[in-house]
Amino acid sequence: MDLIVKEIETRVGKKEIIKNISVQVTKQQFVGLIGPNGCGKSTFLKSIYKSLIPHKGTVFLGDLDVLKSSPKKVSRRLGVVGQFNEMNFDLTVYQMVLLGRTPHKKMLESDKQEDFAIVEEALARTNLLDYKDRSFLSLSGGEKQRVILARAIAQQPKFMILDEPTNHLDIRYQIEILSCVKNLHIGVLAALHDLEMAANYCDYLYAIKDGEVYAHGTPEEVLTPTTIEALYQIKCQTYINPVTKRLGFAFQM
Amino acid sequence: MRTIYYPLIIFFICAIIFSAVYSVSIGQVNIPFKQSMEILLHAITNGKIGSISNIESESYVNIILQVRMPRVIFALLIGMGLSLCGVVMQAVVQNPLADPYILGISSGASLGATFAILIGFGSGTIFSQFGVAFGAFVGAMITTIGVLVLSSIGGKVTSVKLVLSGVVTGALCSSFSSLIIYFANNAEGIKNVTFWSMGSLASSSWEKTPIMAVVVLFGCILFLFQHRVLNTLLLGDESAITLGINLSVYRKLYMMIAALITGTMVAYAGMIGFVGLIIPHIGRGIFGTDHKRLMPGTLLLGGLFLIWADILSRTLIHNVELPIGVITSVIGSPLFIYMIVKKGYNFGG
Repeated sequence: MDLIVKEIETRVGKKEIIKNISVQVTKQQFVGLIGPNGCGKSTFLKSIYKSLIPHKGTVFLGDLDVLKSSPKKVSRRLGVVGQFNEMNFDLTVYQMVLLGRTPHKKMLESDKQEDFAIVEEALARTNLLDYKDRSFLSLSGGEKQRVILARAIAQQPKFMILDEPTNHLDIRYQIEILSCVKNLHIGVLAALHDLEMAANYCDYLYAIKDGEVYAHGTPEEVLTPTTIEALYQIKCQTYINPVTKRLGFAFQM
Repeated sequence: MRTIYYPLIIFFICAIIFSAVYSVSIGQVNIPFKQSMEILLHAITNGKIGSISNIESESYVNIILQVRMPRVIFALLIGMGLSLCGVVMQAVVQNPLADPYILGISSGASLGATFAILIGFGSGTIFSQFGVAFGAFVGAMITTIGVLVLSSIGGKVTSVKLVLSGVVTGALCSSFSSLIIYFANNAEGIKNVTFWSMGSLASSSWEKTPIMAVVVLFGCILFLFQHRVLNTLLLGDESAITLGINLSVYRKLYMMIAALITGTMVAYAGMIGFVGLIIPHIGRGIFGTDHKRLMPGTLLLGGLFLIWADILSRTLIHNVELPIGVITSVIGSPLFIYMIVKKGYNFGG
């Protein structure tokens, strides 16, 4: 399903954080947003998934006008994996993932065999089958993030938004999570802070600076020393890693 | 857990029925358990089962049906209501420390009651009982609305804003109550205020039962079917919206309903502390956090708990009725400590 975001402008308080950003994700691409902390990546994503209300712009997911539709309708098509998943109460991993079925349920409808099958599949995809009865709060950061991803998968979304999903995770979990999302073969818009991950997993990149699109294109087009220096104010050399044959980055410390 | 859930629920229902019968048979006049049973069966089935012909004294029938029955029903309803509102409030503000009184309802009701006792209708008249209940209810409602308005200033209602607004409004109401008490030249009235704030089921009667039953049962039935939203509430605003649930709408709605139930209970029975805080936690220890199982279990647990608290308050010291609020804390705290020690329960978190 295609995501077409046009001319979004968002204020937080009185400060204008997003100044006219347009983004397109077509043909089940994995599209990345990069940019320094505070450039507005999260705010932009929040404006898409209705956590913040942009004062200008349109968001279309297929034929669905996201900003004008109910959260429930949107959540049937759009899954979100965010950064913060702290809570004060505990649920088991299974209950947590089962909550992903919420958008598809009427108020009084109970969970059916079909829902349990979907949850099992989501758990299998994220390697969490052995964790079913574990308590969510007892898990490590990487495991928690996998549970949240499993919940998003259980929503059976046609599109997924990831907001720095690999923050604070070590390399194994970073790869596990991004690979898992990639293998869903649905459109993805992800804010990423690791440039190597962005180069490896994304089909297309948007570089955001001060609430505007600074550059966009394929990873090779965007991830050049000049663009990186403009974005992060740090000198950088790019090279082709001799082992992986992929784009590598050498930063001046 | 899955396998013993239904037996547990059935066990609690049986325990409530047994405790209710036991509760009506005990008191200053001890009525044998078997005769209490017969009187109840006779009354419930309209004389088809059981007979009251072999009851020792005529007055037994009256004591049970007119005095003790409404009291047990009140205990059951208030126990259910308080634990219901406790579960809902804890979910709404995503905080395990929340209780039904968190939005300043208690201090609002206290202020209303203090006003009614010391300034309003005075004491000693027939009007005074109604006056206190009315004052407490109005006080509770005004504070709740005040807290809601205060916390929605500047956009979204967040749980932190709610709790803080509750605390601030509570402090304001408490100081007004203190002010009234300070200037009141009425020792009897001050004593009444103190007693009222400790909670009591002594004023239970059949006339008050219908309002109480309608309000509490309406709330129970409503929230029994809201387990999906309640579960999602625990995840916080951000996650809830991605699951298609607009928290701020439900949060306001749930709080209004919980406040209405709490206000009614406070008006009739004063402040019975602790039940709304600990019963939800004990419920989570037994039934887990999933509201689908937690809600029915907690309701039954709360009802059972308050029936026993009432029994103890009437029988612990001969011929003296202890304030039920004292009893709930005295038996609640050790129970709670046992839960934490025994099961490694970490407050639902």
